Amino acid sequence: MTLDRRLFLLSAAALPACQMMEPRIAMPDAWRLGYTNPPADGFEPAVMRKMSGRLPDAFGGTLYRNGPAQFAYGGQTAQHWFDGDGMVQAIRFEGGAAVHRGRFVATPKRKGEQAAGRFLAPGFGTEADPEYPLGSADDANAANTSVLMSGGELLALWEGGSAWRMDPDTLESRGPKIWRDDLAGMPFLAHPKREPDGTVWNLAPGGRRVGFYRINPDGTIRDFGLVDIGVAAYMHDWAMTASELIILVQPWILKRSRPPFAAHLAWEPERGLVAQVYNKNDFSLKRTVQCPPRAFYHTGSAWTDADGAIHLDVAFYDRPVLGQGGGANLIAGKYATSVDEIEPEVCLLTLPIKGDGVLRESGLQGEFLQADPRRSGLFRRHVLVLTGRAPGRPGHTGVARIDWNTGDVARFDFGPGQMVEEFLVVPKPGDMTEAAAWAVGRTLNLEARASEVHVFDLARLADGPVVTYRAPRSWPLGFHGTFVAA
Amino acid sequence: MSFRPVLVAMLISSLPLGALAEPASDTATLTLNVSGLQPMGTISLGLFDSQSGYEASKSVTGAQQTVTGETVVVVFDDLAPGEYGIKFYHDVNGNGKLDTNPFGMPVEPFGFSNNARGQFGPAGWDKAAFTVTAGENTHALAVN
Repeated sequence: MTLDRRLFLLSAAALPACQMMEPRIAMPDAWRLGYTNPPADGFEPAVMRKMSGRLPDAFGGTLYRNGPAQFAYGGQTAQHWFDGDGMVQAIRFEGGAAVHRGRFVATPKRKGEQAAGRFLAPGFGTEADPEYPLGSADDANAANTSVLMSGGELLALWEGGSAWRMDPDTLESRGPKIWRDDLAGMPFLAHPKREPDGTVWNLAPGGRRVGFYRINPDGTIRDFGLVDIGVAAYMHDWAMTASELIILVQPWILKRSRPPFAAHLAWEPERGLVAQVYNKNDFSLKRTVQCPPRAFYHTGSAWTDADGAIHLDVAFYDRPVLGQGGGANLIAGKYATSVDEIEPEVCLLTLPIKGDGVLRESGLQGEFLQADPRRSGLFRRHVLVLTGRAPGRPGHTGVARIDWNTGDVARFDFGPGQMVEEFLVVPKPGDMTEAAAWAVGRTLNLEARASEVHVFDLARLADGPVVTYRAPRSWPLGFHGTFVAA
Repeated sequence: MSFRPVLVAMLISSLPLGALAEPASDTATLTLNVSGLQPMGTISLGLFDSQSGYEASKSVTGAQQTVTGETVVVVFDDLAPGEYGIKFYHDVNGNGKLDTNPFGMPVEPFGFSNNARGQFGPAGWDKAAFTVTAGENTHALAVN
């Protein structure tokens, strides 16, 4: 296995996509680095090396990210990507420098499996060890999907159990978040939505029954409501406008509420996707909108127009991916089944006051949608997505910004030597215009076998990063993150 | 068949040991030492003498005891020797029931004999059953 020197140089310099043509896959198995265990004790703080550019003076804060990171115990591999223990990475930007640290979330599952030296708990694609005790869902909590800053604490999020409290500086785990005594152990989805005033909304998915959380800006709970969505649809993300909560009931139905869930999900396209629109003030159902049959993991954000129609961006698949099989293959180092190759299209879904939902396709295949947090629930033009694939391996190679007003797409491709994670939109201080923002995210440089973070000026995305830092180590591909401004 | 809930503190300070001794030779006494409690509310226990009773939650006897320390001792007298199982919960707020969250999962501590833990539900009889013999028996329970 040899390093492709030309590719290495190009990647390191982060040159524009036009100079990255004719990708060379010098190391066809290098992508497995994204699914390789990091040290069990985590990563002590380390200064990242600046590779190019300059950190903007006004850019300060911490990028937190979460993702599954325990993929194997000896020869025993996890049975699904979604079931590895969560490891939270923190990259702190301060005074022109970037410092990385990382810690596993110390859940009962993590501690029990570390002590046993093998996987025990059930999960999305994993059977429980028959002797593994399950007093509650939190005994299987992987805390591996996202993070939320709330009430001065960093919360590691999963979708089947409690948020897990962590010290935002040391990343030490503090235990489950109990929003209210009677809500102990309730699921707290990994896609909370934060309004511009700091109020956080989230879902508690529980099959047909779904709870709504409303969390005050100070981290205390304001209220909680329960609705019946009619069918146990798979739920990973949802949407919110200034006045409405939108559950997209996709036709991927859980037939039995027992792990491994992936084995009990059925694709029933004849149902179509049904958008349920609830009022924020009393959780009452406002209307339902029939939409074409699509599967999805992620939305961008939503807004209501002057006529009352709702618009939201979604990465829609023609059929589910990463169900049984797909997520397990990645852990086992296998790729390129037909299911692995399915790509979602970034769409703008309109839910009119009357009639069926309308899909506007962007023409861009992309995932991990992000939008301006200053405009959460409000109209905005842009959505930021990951896009671009390298043949023969999972993961994205680039980042793109879609302008729904013009249909224009601006993009930057890191080339096949990098695997790209979700990029976040970070507002520039003191300027509320939508273009006044940065994009920040992590890539896994497969040639250097090291993690990199990049900051872009969102208005000049195609120009490439304004600054790039490289860590003296790599860590696995993660799912979602948050940026906490200094 | 009766039970005598007794606090540890009472046992140590006021009850002569003789008061608990000398059971009838063909019956059993079962002393339960429950630990790991918060000093508030009440603890409720159900004692079962068969798998069918255990699974149907039809107890042969039970106990409710105010919790004023980290440990509670409960004594059941005049038991027939045999296989038994226990289900218990700590009614921390004293409202007379095991509180659950909106999805039906307990939000107050609970447990089973042998400190057995279930998987997607209560611990099964096969894990919770224990043998009570004629004479004195003790069994330790810890809240989870």
